[in-house]
Formats: sequence, C-alpha cells, structure tokens
Amino acid sequence: MKLTIYEVAQYLHLPLSTVKRWIRQGRIPIQRSGKDYIFNESALKKWAKSYNLVFSLPNKVETQLQEARLENLLPAMKRGCVFHDLKGDNVAAVLETAVENLPALSNNSKEELYKRLLERENLTSTGIGKGVAIPHPHDPISDVLENPLIATCFLEKPIDFGAVDDKPVFVMFILLSQSIKIHLHLLSRLSFCVRDNAFVEFLKTSPDSDAFFSKVADFEKQLDKADNY
Amino acid sequence: MRILKSWRYPASWKIFRLDDRLLLILMATIVGNCSGLAAVILNRSLIAMFEWLHQLRHYWWVFVLPAVGAALSSLFLDKIVKEGAGHGVPEVIYSVSRYGGLLRFRSSFSRLISSCLTIGSGGSAGPEAPVVISGAAIGSNIAKFFSLNDRQRVTLVGCGAAGAISSIFNAPIAGMVFAIEVIIGEWKSVNIVPIAIASVAGTEISRILQGNQIAFSHRLFSIDLMDIIAILGLAVLTAAASILLTWMLRFMHKISGSIPAPVWLRAAAGGCAVGIIGIFLPVVLGEGYHSVRTMIEGTFSQGLVIVALAALAKIVATSLTLGWGGSGGIFAPCLVIGSLLGLTYHHFIALLWPSVSWVNEGCFALLGMAGLISGMLHAPLTGIFLIVEITGGYEVILPLIIVSAISTTLCHYIEPASFYLKDLVELGHLLRPGTDARVLSDLNVPEILERDCINVNQNMLLRDFINIVKISHRNYFPVENEETGDFMGIIHLDDIRPYLFNPIMYDAVVLGQIMDTKVEVVHPDDDLSEVLRRMDANRLFSMPVVINNRFIGLISKATLLDQYRKELMVQTSH
Repeated sequence: MKLTIYEVAQYLHLPLSTVKRWIRQGRIPIQRSGKDYIFNESALKKWAKSYNLVFSLPNKVETQLQEARLENLLPAMKRGCVFHDLKGDNVAAVLETAVENLPALSNNSKEELYKRLLERENLTSTGIGKGVAIPHPHDPISDVLENPLIATCFLEKPIDFGAVDDKPVFVMFILLSQSIKIHLHLLSRLSFCVRDNAFVEFLKTSPDSDAFFSKVADFEKQLDKADNY
Repeated sequence: MRILKSWRYPASWKIFRLDDRLLLILMATIVGNCSGLAAVILNRSLIAMFEWLHQLRHYWWVFVLPAVGAALSSLFLDKIVKEGAGHGVPEVIYSVSRYGGLLRFRSSFSRLISSCLTIGSGGSAGPEAPVVISGAAIGSNIAKFFSLNDRQRVTLVGCGAAGAISSIFNAPIAGMVFAIEVIIGEWKSVNIVPIAIASVAGTEISRILQGNQIAFSHRLFSIDLMDIIAILGLAVLTAAASILLTWMLRFMHKISGSIPAPVWLRAAAGGCAVGIIGIFLPVVLGEGYHSVRTMIEGTFSQGLVIVALAALAKIVATSLTLGWGGSGGIFAPCLVIGSLLGLTYHHFIALLWPSVSWVNEGCFALLGMAGLISGMLHAPLTGIFLIVEITGGYEVILPLIIVSAISTTLCHYIEPASFYLKDLVELGHLLRPGTDARVLSDLNVPEILERDCINVNQNMLLRDFINIVKISHRNYFPVENEETGDFMGIIHLDDIRPYLFNPIMYDAVVLGQIMDTKVEVVHPDDDLSEVLRRMDANRLFSMPVVINNRFIGLISKATLLDQYRKELMVQTSH
C-alpha cells in the first residue's frame, strides 16, 4: 500500500504541518519534486526507528471503533428478556431463579454467574433505592457473553435486599457485560431512567414487555439528545 | 525529455534519494569553484585598483580618496542593491539558523563591488567578509536552483564560505574550520565532508589562477622557552586589543547612527578621517597585506612608539571605515593590528631585557595576528590554522596555540559573544543547532494547536454545560459571544468543580458568570519561547489561541513538550 503524506503524518503522530516543515528542512527522508512527495516506506520506517520516533497507526482509530460498538439499553434489554412474578423469599433465592431463567447461557456458566452475583451482593447490596436493584458481577464476564444483556425481573413479592434506603425491592435488572466500559455505560443509562419517579411508579405496575420497552425507548431518546448536545 | 526535466531536481534521483552525501559532495565542488572564483576576482580587482590609484598618491588631495570610495560603496549598497552596510557575516549566520540559509542572489556580487570600492580607495577593511558573503550567497543560490532542502542548503552555504576563505588565503584548512566554527556552528560529518571538498575546490581554483603562493612566507624561527613565557604577555595584549576593536567598532556605529545625515555622507566622513590618518601613517590604508608581509619578514623598520601608534591608528581607522558605513571585513585589519601589536611587544621586551636573545620580531607579528583573529571571532581553531597556513610556519604551532587559547578565553571572559555574534545575541537571533532556542524557533503555534475544544456561549446554563463536559476530552472550554462569535473567556473544569454536584446550581448559573475573562491569549505568529515564558510566569498549562477575537484552538504545555522532544530528537541525534 502506498502511503500519502497525510498518512505518514498520522503514522508519526505529528501534525501535517510539522512533517511538511521537516521535508522542507531536510530532516526526514522524503523528497519533494514539484507537487509530489517521493519516499520509500521501509526507509522511512528505518529512519523513524533510528530517531526513536513512533511509526504506527495511532490508537485513536482503534478506540473509536470500540466506542462505536457501545450499545444502548434497549437491545441489551431485549436480549435479556423480561420476567414476571419471579419467586423467592430472600436475595439468594431470587437471584437463583433469575439466573435459571436467563437465556443464552450454559448450565455451568449459570452456576458460575450465580456465585459471582452473590459474591457481589455480599460486598454491598446492589439495591439502589426506590425498590430497584441492579445485580451484577464484580468483574465483567467476558468469556461467556458476546453482547451485553440486561434481564428485567419483576418479583412476585417485594423482598428485603439491604438496599440503601431499606425499601423492599420489587424489580431487579441483572446487568451482564463483557467490559467495564460497557458496564458503566449501561449502568449510567439505567440509573438515569430509574432516577425518574414516574418510571418507578410505572415499573410498580409490572408492565408487559412491549409497554416496558417502549417506555425505555423514550428515555433513550432523551439521553441521546443530551449526549449529542 | 524526462532527463531534461529532472536535471534540476537532482535530490529526487534514485542514487541520491536515500543518502545525499554524494550529492552534497558534487554540489560542494561546484560551489567551492564558484566562490573561489569570486574571491580571485575580488583579489585581482583590488590589486588593479590599487595600482591604478597609486599614481595619484603624490597629490595633496589624496586623503579624500577613501571618502569617495566609501561614499560610492555606500551609495551602491543603499540605492542600487538595497543591502545593509557593515561586513554582513551576522546576516549569513542568522539566515543559516533561521531561514535555512536563504540568501539573495544579488548578495553574491554586491559586497564584492562595494568592498572593492571601499578597500581599493584606501579604506581600512578586509576583503574576506565580502567574499564570505558572496560565497555563501553563491552556495545558497545554487542550492535553490537545484531545489535542495534547508539542511542541504545550509551545508552549501558553509561550502561557499569555506571555498571563499580557502581561495583568498590559499588556506584550505582555515576555510573549512572557519565555515564550521563560525558560520555553521555544528561539527557533523555530514557538514564537514562537503565543506572540506569545497575548500579544496576553492584553493585549487586560486592556485590555478594565481599560482601556489603562500601569502606571508618567512624565515625559520627557533623558539625557546623564554619566548613562550614572553608570549603570555602578548596574548593578554592581543585580547585587550580585540576588545578595544570590538568596542570601537560598535561605538563608531552608534555615533554614526545618531547623526542625521544620508548614509553616503556618513561613509564619506568616515573615509575622509581615515584618509587624514593615512597621510601620517600610511600603514593603516587598505587591507594592509603588504605591511603584514614586511613585518613578518622583519623588515618593518619603525620604532616602538610609531608601531604602537600605528596599531592604535589601525584600530581607529578600521572602526571609522566599517562603523561609518564602508563595506568590508575585519579579517585583514585584524591581521594588520595583530602584527603591529606583535611588533610593539617585541620592541617593548627587547627594550626591557636587551640581554635576552629574543626570537625574530616576525614571529611575534605572526603570533599577534593569531591572537587577534582568535580574540575577535572567538574562534581559536580558525586563528591557529589560518596563521599556520598563510605563513607556512608549522614550527610556531606551540606558541600559536597558547596565544589563541589565552586570547579567546580572555575575550570570552569580558565579551561573552564574539564580534560576529554580538548583534545576533542581543536581538535573540543566535540560534545555534541543537539549542533550546533553535528547537523552539523551528516549532510554531499552528503545529501544536489543539482544535478539539468544544465552544460554549456565555448564556448557557450550567446544566447544559455539564452535558457538554460529559462528552468532552478536554478541561478547557472557550466561551464565545452568542451573536458575534467573539472570544470572551475560558472555563476550566476546576472553575465549575464546586458546583458540579449541586443540582440547585444547575439552573441558577450561566457560564458568563463563571468564565475567566482575564485570560492570557496567544497569537498564531507568536514566538514559542515567548509563549512558554508567559506560561511559566503565570503558571499556566494551557493558553487559548485567538485571531481577530476568534478562538481557534488551544495550546498546552504537554503537547508542546511532546512535540519539542520529537523536534529535538530529529535535530540533534546523528
């Protein structure tokens, strides 16, 4: 592949104007003849190495790719499904039934996930108040999942979760993601929704999945608006 | 057809693309020959002019000759080619460090003509600086013709200077050392090899055209330990004379600058004064090589007082000629003053200790020259090699080194910058390769500009601003006027940190209230050394760049130093 002068500047992590000045000053093995720039890529690589300069594609391009993959709530929630009337009297029991129901997981990984969720609950409760809990493993589980998922579980009866405001929890969002970045991204979006009291009231009615998803979609729109300011 | 088209772009030929040393050597040969030729031409025309004017020597009005010459030379420089007076070497050094050695084509002949007028008519100045300028300009323009880059052009400028000095003195090593020590200021093999080749070419041209003659040949000297001890005194004397000459030159320049008269009239006044001195002490007139020759041969038959007076008079005459607008260099006057001082010193110690058998007075004259050249230029190597080559006297090398070293050191002690560099240092224009000032002067504001700032306006609520903070990568937010787009101030993240977690403030505060309006701004044309100085003085890490009240970006110390390091690596290693 033949590089352009602009790409050379990118490879060297330098502004184009600096590279052009270096060419003019004869500091870099690139010749100008008329409008063209003549250079040999391997010679340039060797030159950069001899001067301890970086000569590689900038990381920025890669991180941009990753950021583009950050998903919003709705697809994750759809992947995780909505469960109603989950049975159980205490935290462990509810989590167990919830994990049982999770789609797209093998039995082994379900057991593992249950253990890790419980471990996290023992650290501090994930009940964030207003009767909502967001259980998640302490470290992201990258090996099992390809995409993040959020399982929405409406409980049969509210249970004591040890939440921050001591209110019994009636709904859990089990949040599973493969990296911290995605986790934080989804968590911040989810907590934005839950902060809204009307939404919590709406959740208390234990809505069916379609109504729930359309409500979440509304919130997503608001969030996107704020993000793309 | 392609060959025809590409012959002017030799740098893009395949054999020169990876390594241009061969190309530089080739170019250096051409440049060396041309500048050598220029030196020979000046030398020949000086001789011709001297002989032509010699017939007029017996008229009473002969003292106005230097005045006419200086006035003509000044008029020529000022009105026809529009160049500054003086010797011009600082301009070359400045151009080498700042503009990659770009020099005007007319510089390659203008100084030759003007100095020929000044010196040929009897003005006290040397032909060396003019040929150095010519040589440098020839090198620069050959480089420009072949579209070479800055680094190659600088080397060719050095080649031109080396070729010129080599040719005029028939002294290849002195030319080479002078170009590197004084003009380029960087000892790198990439420079040294082409410059050495150019010296050889310049010397060869001069030998072909004028014959291989050593300028000041002499008898053999036998130097004893006593002489070497006595020479320490001479070194101090030459150092003092160098300082005096430097001061006199600058003093005269200042005086003539404060006189409200046209430049040619000032030059004429200076020349007239030189002419009057010349009536009593003809040794001060012209470049003075003839008198140097007689002094080295030991046939300069004048008493102590006359010789000492002549040395002083030469200093005054040189400052009158150059300081008042004549054109020429200080090389030859230095040689004359140096040899006069050597002679003075010899007479003096012979008077004090008549029983000691001192070495021939010619040897002292020779050492005095080395001391003065080294002291004036702060270039000990140039002084040593020049004297060794122009006298062909290798046996004096030991006292020569001592005199040069002491004279340079003493002069450096009193005047930290040499005569050539003093003006540049005062203006902050001395940018030697590999120095902080050089690296900073090569970088400029647009190269380190960061444009990914998010602009906000002064009526924005804190709530909206926090949403912007969320997606921004930077800590600084320029505030612009909503209607006009003018830059009003800047908000640093620290400014809003206290209110960041207080939702009541979100709708109560607009950005106009929080922003910092007394902010130091940078213009894209500002010097980075100045920008850094302001950053340090105000303890800033970032400064906004503003043109015509518009914010165009941010410069930060981190990016600047990152870029600075890369620049330093590319400029200094190898």
